[in-house]
Amino acid sequence: MNRATLTLLALLLICALSLVAAQQRARKLFVLIERAQLQEYQLTQDGLRLEYEQRNLSKSARVRDVARNQLRMVPISPERTLYLKEAK
Amino acid sequence: MRPVGFSTSPNLVLRLPMWRSRLMLFLLFFVFTLLLIRAFWIQGPGNAFYEAKAIRGTQRELELPASRGKILDRNGQVIATSLEAKSVIAYNDTVPDDLSAEKVSKLAGLLQMSESDLRKKLKEERKQIFLKRQVDPEVAQQIKKLEIPGIGLNNEYRRFYPEGEAMAHVVGFTNVEDRGQEGMELSREKDLAGHPGQRRVVVDRLGRVVEDVAIEQFPQNGKDLQLSIDSKIQYLAYNAVKSAVEQHHAKAGGAVVLDTQTGEILALANYPSYNPNDRRGLIGEQLRNRVLTDMFEPGSTIKPFTVSAALEKGAITPNTSMAIGASYLVGKKPITDTHPNGTLTIAQVIQKSSNIGAAKIAMNYLSPEEMWDMYTAVGFGQAPKIGFPGSVAGTLHPYKNWVPSDQARVAFGYGLSGSLFQVARAYTIFARDGELVPLTIERSPEFKPGTRIISAKTALEMRQMLETVTLPGGTAVKAQADGYRVGGKTGTAHKLVGKTYGNRYLAYFAGIAPISAPRISVAVMIDEPTGGSHYGGDVAAPVFSAIVSETLRTLNVLPDSSVKQAVSEGVGSTEIHAASAPAQHVTLKR
Repeated sequence: MNRATLTLLALLLICALSLVAAQQRARKLFVLIERAQLQEYQLTQDGLRLEYEQRNLSKSARVRDVARNQLRMVPISPERTLYLKEAK
Repeated sequence: MRPVGFSTSPNLVLRLPMWRSRLMLFLLFFVFTLLLIRAFWIQGPGNAFYEAKAIRGTQRELELPASRGKILDRNGQVIATSLEAKSVIAYNDTVPDDLSAEKVSKLAGLLQMSESDLRKKLKEERKQIFLKRQVDPEVAQQIKKLEIPGIGLNNEYRRFYPEGEAMAHVVGFTNVEDRGQEGMELSREKDLAGHPGQRRVVVDRLGRVVEDVAIEQFPQNGKDLQLSIDSKIQYLAYNAVKSAVEQHHAKAGGAVVLDTQTGEILALANYPSYNPNDRRGLIGEQLRNRVLTDMFEPGSTIKPFTVSAALEKGAITPNTSMAIGASYLVGKKPITDTHPNGTLTIAQVIQKSSNIGAAKIAMNYLSPEEMWDMYTAVGFGQAPKIGFPGSVAGTLHPYKNWVPSDQARVAFGYGLSGSLFQVARAYTIFARDGELVPLTIERSPEFKPGTRIISAKTALEMRQMLETVTLPGGTAVKAQADGYRVGGKTGTAHKLVGKTYGNRYLAYFAGIAPISAPRISVAVMIDEPTGGSHYGGDVAAPVFSAIVSETLRTLNVLPDSSVKQAVSEGVGSTEIHAASAPAQHVTLKR
C-alpha cells in the first residue's frame, strides 16, 4: 500500500467516525427538541387551565355573590351615580 | 494369484453413468441461479415487502394533536374552552388475569366505578376497551402511578363552559368526540373543530422517538370564535327570567337583548336551562332554545306594526279618535277587550292595548296585502339568518287566504306565529327611525345600515306611543326602568292547546330603551304563569325593567329620565375630568 492509499483510508475512517458522531449529536438534539416541544405543549395546556380557572373565579355568578354577600355591596342606581361628560 | 490392492480392487470400481454427474451439476447450477435471481429480486423490484417490514419495526405514525377553538364573549371572556383530559384504556390481552385485589380496588376508586363493573370490563373479549373517557389530569396521573400492565392513557380534550346554565343555550355543547351537538358549538363546528396532524418518526428498540422522518399532515387548531354576547348582560337576563319563572310558577321563560345600533345579539336567555359541563343532564326539554325555536302567537306585541302600517299609509294620525265599544263582531266570534273602552285615540289604542281598536284600524284603514307586507317586512314568516340551529320561521299565511275575521285577528296578534327573537328584531324598526337592522351573533361593533320599513316620522310617533304604555294609565307601568325612559308593548296570548285555546297563557313584553335615543331592543316571554296574574304587564314587564336598567348601565348609557341625585356633582369631579373618561359613572356610596 502506498502513502496515498493510507491517507485515503485514514480519511475514510475519520469521515465514518464523524458521521457516527454527527448522527449521535443529531439524535441528542432531536431528543432535546422533542422534550422542549412537549414542554411547550404542557405549558400551553397549563396556560389554558389557568385561564379557565381565572375565568371561573371571575364569572358573573361568583362576582355577584361575592359583591352582595361578602362585600355587602348593593347594585348601583341612577340617583346614587354621578355621570360625568368627557372634558373637551 | 496376483495380489490386488484395495484401492485397485475391481469390485470397488464405480461405473456411474455420466448423465448423473451432469444432472447434479445442472441441478446445483440451477439452484444457485434461482438463489441469485431471488437475491436480485429482493434487492431490486421485490423489496417493498421487506422494506415495509423494516419500517414497521423502526418507524411509527404519531398523531399531532389539534385543539378545538375557544368561544369568547364580546369582551374576550372565555365562554367555552378545551382542556386536556385523558381517556383510560384497557388492553385486555395484556392486563394480567391475577391482578391484585388492591390494585383493582384502587383503580375502580379512581375511575369512580364499582370493582365488579371494572372486573367485568377487564374480562370482556374485546382487545381494547375504554374504561373511562375525559378523566382529569390529576386522576390520570394517579392511575399511571399504579403501573398496571395493559392500562394505558390516551390524550384527548374536554370542553368546559365557565358560565354554565346562563350561557348554555347560546354556546351549546360537544360530545365526547369533541364535536358540536347544540348551539354555536354545532352551527360553527367547521370553524371550531381542530384537525389533528400526523408525523412519521423513527423509534429505537425501547420505543423512544429518535428521529423525525416526515410530517405527513400539519395539525390545524380550530379557530377561536368571538360572539356578540356579553356575559354580564346574558347572566343578568338569565337571572331575571329565572326569578320571574320561579315567582310566577311558570313553565318556562326567555329573553332577548339586541343592540339596535350594531345589530349584535347581546343576550339570549332561556329558562329552564342545563349545565353543559355535566353530560348526564344533556337530554330533554331543557335543551330547547325557546327564544329561537318556539313558535307562538305574538298577541298584542304585534299591534304597533298594525298601527305603523296605517300611520305610514297616512290613513290615521296618533290623535285620530275612534269608537271602541264593548265588542266588535267580525266573522262569528266577537272581539272584546279586557276592559271596555269608549272612545280612544290611536295612541290610546296602543296604551290600553285595545284588541277592538287594532281590529278596527285593520278593517277600516288597511288592506290584507298592506298588513301582510308590513309583517313580512319586519321579519315574520322568515327564519332569522343568524346561523343558529333550529331557528323557526313562524307562520304567516298568504293574505289571499285571509277571510275578514283572519284580518281582524291578525291585527292583534292571533292567526300568525313567530319566535320571541323575531319580535325583538321587529321592534328595532322603532329604535332605528324606521330601519330594520341586520342581526349578528358574532362580534361586530360597528354601526350597521338597515333596511327602511317605515319613515322616521312614523317611527318617532310610534316611540311616543310605546312610551305611554309604560306611563301611568298604560298596561305596563312595571316596565319602567330606573333612570331611563322606556317604551314597549305588552302581550298576553292564549296558548293554543291542540286546536283550541285553553286556559293557559303566554305573557310578553317587547320594547326599546332609552326612548330618547334607543340603544337596545328587549323582548321577554314567560310561558304559562300560574301564580296570580298572567298579564304581560304584570309578569313580563318587570323582567324587561330589570334587564333594561342593568343592561344600559353596563353599556355606559347615560340616563335620559330625570332622577333625584343623592350625590353632589362637585365631589371628585376634577380628578375624573382629568382622566377624560367618557360618560363614566361613579358610585359614591355603597
